[in-house]
Amino acid sequence: METPTPKILVFSTEKISDPALDLAGLLKLHYSPTVHTIVLPCSSAVRPGWILHAFEKGFAGVFIAADGSDCPYGESCIEKTSKIVEKAHVLMREKGIPTERLKMAAVCSVCAELFVNQMKLFAGELSGERINE
Amino acid sequence: MKEVDVLVIGGGIAGIESALNLANTGLQVLIVEKDLSIGGRMIHLSKVFPTLDCAACITTPKVSEAARHPNITILTNSRVMHVSQDENKLFLARVEQKPRYVISALCTGCQDCESACPVVVNDEYQYDLVGRKVAFIPFSIASPRIAAIDIDHCILCGACEKACGPGAIDFTQEPEQVMITAKSIIMATGFKLFDPNNIARYGGGRFKNVVTSMQMERQLVPTRPFNTVLRPGDGKMPDRIAYVLCAGSRDATVGNPICSQICCMYSIKQAQLILGALPMADVTVYFLHVRAFGKGFEEFYQQAKMMDVSFIKGKVGRIREQENGDLLIRYEDIASGHVKEASHDLVVLSVGILPTSGTEQIFEPEQPELDPFRFFR
Amino acid sequence: MDKRIGVYICQCGSNISDWVDVEKVREVIREENGVVLARVTMFACADSAQKEIVADIQQEPLDAIVVASCSPKLHLYTFRSVAERGGLNPFNYVQVNIREQDSWAHSDQPTQATQKAIRLIRAGIAKVQQAEPLTPVMIPVDNTIAIHGAGVAGMRAALELADLGTTVYLIEKEHFVGGRVAQWGKMSVTNQTGEEIVTEMYRQVIQRPTIHLFTGARILSATGSIGKFTLKLKLIPRYLNPPCDAIGLKKAMEACPIVVDDEFNFNLTKRKAIFHNFKSEFPALPVIDMNACTRCGECLQFCTQIDLDQQEKIIDLQVGSILLTTGFNPYEPKPGEFGYREIPSVITLQQFKRLLELSKGEFRFGGKKINRVAFIYCVGSREVEGEHKYCARYCCTSAIHAALQLREEFHVPYIYHLTRGIRTYGKQEILYEQSSVAGDVYFQFVEDDPPNVEASGDHVKITIHDLLTANQEVSVTVDLLVLVTGMVPRENDELEQILKVPLGRDRFYNEVHPKLRPVETVLDGVFIAGCCQGPRNIHESVSSSLAAVSKIYSLLNKGEIQLEPTLAIVNPDTCEWCGKCVEGCPFDAIEKAETDKGFVARVIESNCKGCGMCTIYCPTEAIDIKGFTNQGIRSMIDAMAGD
Repeated sequence: METPTPKILVFSTEKISDPALDLAGLLKLHYSPTVHTIVLPCSSAVRPGWILHAFEKGFAGVFIAADGSDCPYGESCIEKTSKIVEKAHVLMREKGIPTERLKMAAVCSVCAELFVNQMKLFAGELSGERINE
Repeated sequence: MKEVDVLVIGGGIAGIESALNLANTGLQVLIVEKDLSIGGRMIHLSKVFPTLDCAACITTPKVSEAARHPNITILTNSRVMHVSQDENKLFLARVEQKPRYVISALCTGCQDCESACPVVVNDEYQYDLVGRKVAFIPFSIASPRIAAIDIDHCILCGACEKACGPGAIDFTQEPEQVMITAKSIIMATGFKLFDPNNIARYGGGRFKNVVTSMQMERQLVPTRPFNTVLRPGDGKMPDRIAYVLCAGSRDATVGNPICSQICCMYSIKQAQLILGALPMADVTVYFLHVRAFGKGFEEFYQQAKMMDVSFIKGKVGRIREQENGDLLIRYEDIASGHVKEASHDLVVLSVGILPTSGTEQIFEPEQPELDPFRFFR
Repeated sequence: MDKRIGVYICQCGSNISDWVDVEKVREVIREENGVVLARVTMFACADSAQKEIVADIQQEPLDAIVVASCSPKLHLYTFRSVAERGGLNPFNYVQVNIREQDSWAHSDQPTQATQKAIRLIRAGIAKVQQAEPLTPVMIPVDNTIAIHGAGVAGMRAALELADLGTTVYLIEKEHFVGGRVAQWGKMSVTNQTGEEIVTEMYRQVIQRPTIHLFTGARILSATGSIGKFTLKLKLIPRYLNPPCDAIGLKKAMEACPIVVDDEFNFNLTKRKAIFHNFKSEFPALPVIDMNACTRCGECLQFCTQIDLDQQEKIIDLQVGSILLTTGFNPYEPKPGEFGYREIPSVITLQQFKRLLELSKGEFRFGGKKINRVAFIYCVGSREVEGEHKYCARYCCTSAIHAALQLREEFHVPYIYHLTRGIRTYGKQEILYEQSSVAGDVYFQFVEDDPPNVEASGDHVKITIHDLLTANQEVSVTVDLLVLVTGMVPRENDELEQILKVPLGRDRFYNEVHPKLRPVETVLDGVFIAGCCQGPRNIHESVSSSLAAVSKIYSLLNKGEIQLEPTLAIVNPDTCEWCGKCVEGCPFDAIEKAETDKGFVARVIESNCKGCGMCTIYCPTEAIDIKGFTNQGIRSMIDAMAGD
C-alpha cells in the first residue's frame, strides 16, 4: 500500500547538500516521493518569498538542506541562512502558517542518511500536525 | 601513440591536484592510475585533521573535475611499465591497461551485475572488514563509476552477463598496451602502509581485535561497513580502545627510522571521532612524542585532551590476547617509571607510511635518485 | 513567445524504467505547453542518443531541451555540449534528476515515483522556459604580479614567475633582501648558511630583467580586483647614489659617530647609522638609517655619493595579482621569562644562531668560553593559556641542529635539552637520533611545571621536574641558556587593513582551506606563501611559494579569465539603491553606479561568485542570479506543487 504523505519542498545546494541527496538514491535509502527538490548555488539564497509561495501552492513543509560550515562561499552562510528562516517565520506567522512547517538542517555532501532521517522525521511531524489542525 | 605534455603517474589527491593545475594552464595531461578508480587513499578516509572536513566530500569534487576536464585523460586499472627518454629528452612510456571485462562506454553503473554475482571475496576497499562481489563497482563514490570483474576470483558463471541490460560485460577483453610520449612526468605514486605483521609482539594480523588505523578509519566513514564502530573479533561494541603510536615508525629494528608525520594526528582525529560515535568509550593513546606540528594541530591535540582522551607517555612492550578477545597491553609508564599492564577491548596500531617500492625501476636506463629511506629525493 | 522544447526521458537501461513508467511520463509530458517532442531513450548519454538529440534540435527545430535522466553532476556538461553541437546556447538545456532523486530513492513506491517524475520534468520545462541564453563572462588579466616580501619564499616565486613570462614587482619593506633566512646561519640538512642561499637567489633575481625590485618600500593603498589591482607604493631612499667608491664608503661608515643596536644580529652587536648587514649583503649598497642619522655630515667628507637630500617617492603599480610573502617575527620573550633580560647569559635561539655565525674557533659569550649550554624549548609556543597556542614546528629541529653544530664545530661538551616532547617530524627524526647518540642530554617538563631559572654567580642554574625520570628534581648549571623561541606573526596591521587579508585564530594570514586551497585567500587574485601563513621551515616555505606560483601562473597566463555566467544581475528599473545588497555580499561584488534615472546597484562581475546571498537583502527584488531567477524558481515551485 502506498500511503499519501505530506508534500515537502527541499532547497538543496549544488555543491554540498544535493550530492548527499544523490547518494541517498544511490544507496537506495527510501524517503517519501512527495519530497521535491530545487537546487540552488547556496542555501543563503533561498528567498523567504519562495517559501511562502510553496505553502500557498500546497506544500505542507519546506526544508532547507543548508551548506552549514561546508559552504564554499564562506562562513557567513550559516548566519545568513538562519536569518532567512527567521524572516520566513515572521511572514508565516502573519499568514497564520505554523512555523514548524519550515525546517532547516546542515546536510554535508555525504550526509545521505541524515537527510533521509530528517525527511522521515519531518514528514511524521507534518502528518501529526495535520491531524491536530 | 598518444602525445601529452605531462604524464602523471598516480591518480591520488596529489596526482589529481597537479593534473588539474596543469590542465588549467592549457597543457594536455594523462593520469595513469593502477587502481580501478582515481581518488587514491584520501577518498577512503573519514574526516581530515584538524578541520574535520569529510575527506570524501572534499576529494570527490576534485575527482569529478579531473574526470570531465577536457585537457585530462585518465587511464585507470593501468600501470606504467617502462619509461625511457629519446635524444630530445622526450619521455616514451609504455602503459599497460588491464581489462575490466566491462565495456566502459556501455556500463551505466547500475550494479545489476553486482546483485547477480554469486561470489563474495574480501573487500579491499573496506580494508577486508567486509566482503564484496566479484562483479563489482569498487566503492560508491568511485570514478569512473563503472563495474569491473575481479577475474582472479571469477567462476565464469555468466550471471553478470545475463543481468547486464546494456550488454556491457565482455570476458574477451585483453590487456592493452598504450604508448605515450610526454615532455614531463610527475611521480605521484603515494605511499605504502606499514604491515603490522612485521611487529610480532603487537599481534597485528594474529589477534582479531588488533586492527590497523586504516581499518578503524573505514569504520568511521559515512559509508562505513557496520554503521557503527565494532571490534572485528566478535562484533562487540568496544568500550576501551587503545592506540599504539609509532607502529612501524621511528624504529630502526623494523627498518624505518624516520617519523611518519601523520600518525599522531590521524590517531588524535580518530579518537575524537570515536568519542562522537561511542560517547561512553574510553580512548587511550600510548605515545612517545606527540607530533602536533602543523597549523591548528596543537590546538586539535589539546581539544582531544579536553574530550577526555587519555594520553599515556610510554613505550608499549607487547600485547597479549586473552580468552574473551580482550587485549592486555604491557607498557613502560614513563610518568611513574614503572612497567604496567592495561586491558583493552580493541587495539588500533597507528601504522606508519613507507615508500612505494620499486617505482623508480620503470625508468631506464637512468633512474631517479632515492634518499636513504627510499623515498624519491 | 514560448520556446519549442524537446524532452528526453531516459530509461537508463532499466534503472529508471523499472520503477518509473516512462511511457506514461511521455504521454503526459508531450501534452505540456511548449513541448513539441517527447522521446523515451534507452541511454540518453549513449553516443547514438546524443546524435539523435542534435538532429532533433536542428530538424524540428528546438529552442531548448530537457533531459530527464541521472544526476546533473554526472552529465550536465555532456548534454550542455550536445545542446551546443545542435546550435543551442548551453543554458537552454535543463537536466532533471529522475534517477538518484526519484527512481532509486523511491523504488519502494513506483506509482508515486512516476508521478514525481512528471512533476520534476514539468519543473524542468518551467525552468527552461524562463532560461536566458548565457555566455561566460571574460575578465582581462594583466600578466604582472606584485610580490610583497623578498625573503626566500618571495624571491623563489619571483624567479619562477619571471621565467614563465610574468612581469614581477618584488616589494621589500627593508633595504636588503633575504628576510629572516639571511640571519639564519647554518641550516639542516645541507649545512648551507642562510647568507649563501640568499646571496645565490639574489644573484639570480638581478639577472632577470622582468623582475623589478623595490627595497625600502611600503604599500600605501590598493584598489581594484583580480586581473587589475592598483597599488600605491612609498619608496624610502637609501640616501646614496650608486656607484660608490668602496674605500670611501668604508671610511664614511667608520666616520659615522652614531652607534645603535644591530637588529640584524638581534642586538648582540652594534652598528652605525650608515650600515649594511653582512659583506655580501644585497643590494650591495649600504643604506642610511634616517631614524638614527643626525645629518651631522661626517660621512660626506669621505663619500661624495651620499645624498642626504634624497626624497621619498610615491609610485603606482598595476598588477593582475598579488602574492604576500611577508614572513614572520621570532617570538620575543617577556622580560623575566626564564630569566630573559634579567640574567645576561640567557639568550634566544635567534641570537644564539647569530652568535654561532659570528664565532670563530672558540665559542665565547660575554667574554668567556662556553662549556655548558642548555636549551629550554617551546618558549612562546604551545601556550595553553597564552596567545600562542600553536606549535612553531621548526624550532625543535633548528635547536637540535644548532646544538650539533655547537658540539661538532666548537666542541662544547655539555649540552642539555629541556623539552616538552621533541617534534622532529619526518626525516628530521634522524637529527634527534644523532644528537642523542652524540651525548646531548634530554629532560622533559610539562607546561604547568616549567623549569626554574636563576642566576648562580656567572652561571645559570636550571631546575626541572623531569618527566623522563618519574618527575625527579634535576638541576643543571650552565654557562649559557638558550630559549628556543617560536614564530609569531609580523606586525602588518597597515597591510592587513589595506588588503583586508583575513587572519586565522593564530593571527597569521589565513588560506581558504588548509588542504584544498592552501595558498589562496578569500580575496580573488591575492595569494599567500611562506611563514606569513604560519610557522614552517624553509623547505616548506619554498614549497608553498611554488604552489602559489602554479596557481598564479594558471590565472595570469591566458590574459583573461572565464567566469561562469550564473552571476548576480540587477534590474535597473526596479532597483532603488538602498545599499542593502552590498551588506549581503561577502565578496565586495556590488557597487553604487549612476544612471540617467539616478543611483542603482551594479554587479562587479569579476568579484561575483553567483552565490545569491545578495538577493535576499533586496527590498524590491531587483537582484537575481542568472539561471536561478525569482521568476524561474517560482514557476518551478508551481510545477512541482501540481498533481
